[in-house]
Amino acid sequence: MNPTRILAIARRIAQGFRRDERTLGLMFVVPLVVTALLGWVLRDTKDTNVRIEIVNTDQTVGTHIVSALTALASDPANGIAIAGTVASRDDAVAAIKAGNADLALVIPSDLVAAVAAGQRPTLTVITEGTEPGAEASQFGKLQKAVATLTGSLAPPGGSPAIIPQIAHETVYLTPNATQVDVLAPIFLGFFGYFFVFLLTGISFLRERIGGTLERLLATPVTRTEIVFGYSLGFGAFATIQVIVLTLFILNSINVPAIGPIPAFSIGLGVNSAGSPVLAFLIAFLLSIGAVNLGIFLSTFARTELQVIQFIPLVIVPQGLLGGLLFPVNQLPDALNAVAHVLPLTYAIEGLREVMLKGADLSSRIVQTDLLVLAGIAIFFVALASTTIKREVA
Amino acid sequence: MSAAVGAPVPPVAAAPAVEAVNLQKRFGEIRAVDGIDLALAPGRIYGLLGPNGSGKTTLIRLLTGLAHATGGEARILGTKMPSRQTLARIGYMPQAEAIYPELSVGENLTFFARLEGKADPAAIDRVLDLVELGGRKGTPALELSGGMRRRLSLACTLVHEPKVLFLDEPTVGVDPALRVQFWTHFRRLAADGTTILVASHVMDEADRCDELVFVRNGKVIGRGTGAELRETAGQKDLEAAFLVLSGLDPEGRPLDRTAPDAGAVA
Repeated sequence: MNPTRILAIARRIAQGFRRDERTLGLMFVVPLVVTALLGWVLRDTKDTNVRIEIVNTDQTVGTHIVSALTALASDPANGIAIAGTVASRDDAVAAIKAGNADLALVIPSDLVAAVAAGQRPTLTVITEGTEPGAEASQFGKLQKAVATLTGSLAPPGGSPAIIPQIAHETVYLTPNATQVDVLAPIFLGFFGYFFVFLLTGISFLRERIGGTLERLLATPVTRTEIVFGYSLGFGAFATIQVIVLTLFILNSINVPAIGPIPAFSIGLGVNSAGSPVLAFLIAFLLSIGAVNLGIFLSTFARTELQVIQFIPLVIVPQGLLGGLLFPVNQLPDALNAVAHVLPLTYAIEGLREVMLKGADLSSRIVQTDLLVLAGIAIFFVALASTTIKREVA
Repeated sequence: MSAAVGAPVPPVAAAPAVEAVNLQKRFGEIRAVDGIDLALAPGRIYGLLGPNGSGKTTLIRLLTGLAHATGGEARILGTKMPSRQTLARIGYMPQAEAIYPELSVGENLTFFARLEGKADPAAIDRVLDLVELGGRKGTPALELSGGMRRRLSLACTLVHEPKVLFLDEPTVGVDPALRVQFWTHFRRLAADGTTILVASHVMDEADRCDELVFVRNGKVIGRGTGAELRETAGQKDLEAAFLVLSGLDPEGRPLDRTAPDAGAVA
């Protein structure tokens, strides 16, 4: 052990850092930016009123419940709003699907009869079902309101209040859907984007520094041909990746116990409500954009390490804002606007629509997502080809 | 004893294969190529000689259309560059190896041949024999020795049988025996009518060329055969001739100073 040699090595590392301002910047600036962003998202996430659609099938007591709930809604502290009152649960489900209500409260027609018979009546709450986290808090607000209501409706004379049971139903998936079911489409979008970007970035950087791009450009090949070739080549691998990942997510194969190894299953066995082909199309368009973003950003890197340093810039904000962790519509307004220029936002929205809600090509949301993703892909194709100039030195 | 003009350009019988007229390239304030005129006759080997940073690579990149001239123009085989059609008849060997290490020898060659529009298996086998890599067709380039990779790089340049060859320091890191082989290939190609421009800073290669172009600071400071340049400079070896034509004394010292350790240039 020679301290001089150890210090020489440490000093060498410090000297290297001094010349590489970008690494230094990323080391200190990026964690601050990401932390600030995360803090902003967590602190300013909108706590909106739960919009309740009331399905009133009991004309006698029901009207009282509606007016009592409306009275509760007038106090902002309760965090509820009445979206409307309808006569059938189908209308309420339609209102949730259309995004006009967050959940529906169904007042059963046998409410009075049940109470008269001394039974606890059952109120049914219908939630959308695709965002268990956010829905749990909405559900909680409604439960609180119902409890307040029950207290105020307690029959006079000291007899105990009849507390209704609450049954949970969902429009999509099932009430006991896990985070895995809900996150499956997000995995698909995120991994497709992340790996394709990283691989193309590094691969194209190697073309630039290894001289092969010079040699390519001294042949009759055009920039557009290079960009299309890259998109096709990496697109093919992205396709295989998406197919494998989709199969893993959607299927589950049980492997029986072998000797000391207990039985286990491979795959998540998530149910996809919609067409896997459509989900694939969304993931494919996303990856074409990622290929060309990789080519474009490789211009700004001189080493493989510097390509990896783009991860906090390219991947992390999309992870935070793209609907991966927090619903986009609950983001603070400024961040919501940012989220709407990020490709992952549209891909995740589209994949969720297709896989969780069974949307097909007739869905306006899916149409918009596909168009925006195609637009972003074309934009990055154009951007990438402008960076491949004959002048590459 | 200023000889900046050098020997006159010898009359070119056929139309020149490579032509440059007052070619210029500026990077900000730096004039990397500062008004170069060239006329290279078909079937001859030209040596482009000068120290590192003299503008050799930039000149080649301007001639091949890889860089855009800020003034003047370049013509290859009669076509103004940059021209994609003409690129198919040009072979360019960059200073870097410029091969795909993860691909095999044969795959590298097939790839570049396809881009040139000439994926002829027979031509690939011919060029492999030429660089003596015939038995290595399936070997990944990664596993080749440095000299073999250099030969593969040359093969990738030759695979589409170009009429004009630009070789940027093709023999750097190549051992003497292989260097002799390379030059034998170049001579054979020239005999078949290929025009070759070899950039080098190794003066001992210069005598293998038919004609030499000395460049320094982006300007041509002398041209002609090796014998002509030696005679003009009044020096016995080319290195000294280059230094004298650069305005230095034969030891590389500035003429107006006699400091003992001014340092060699070439």
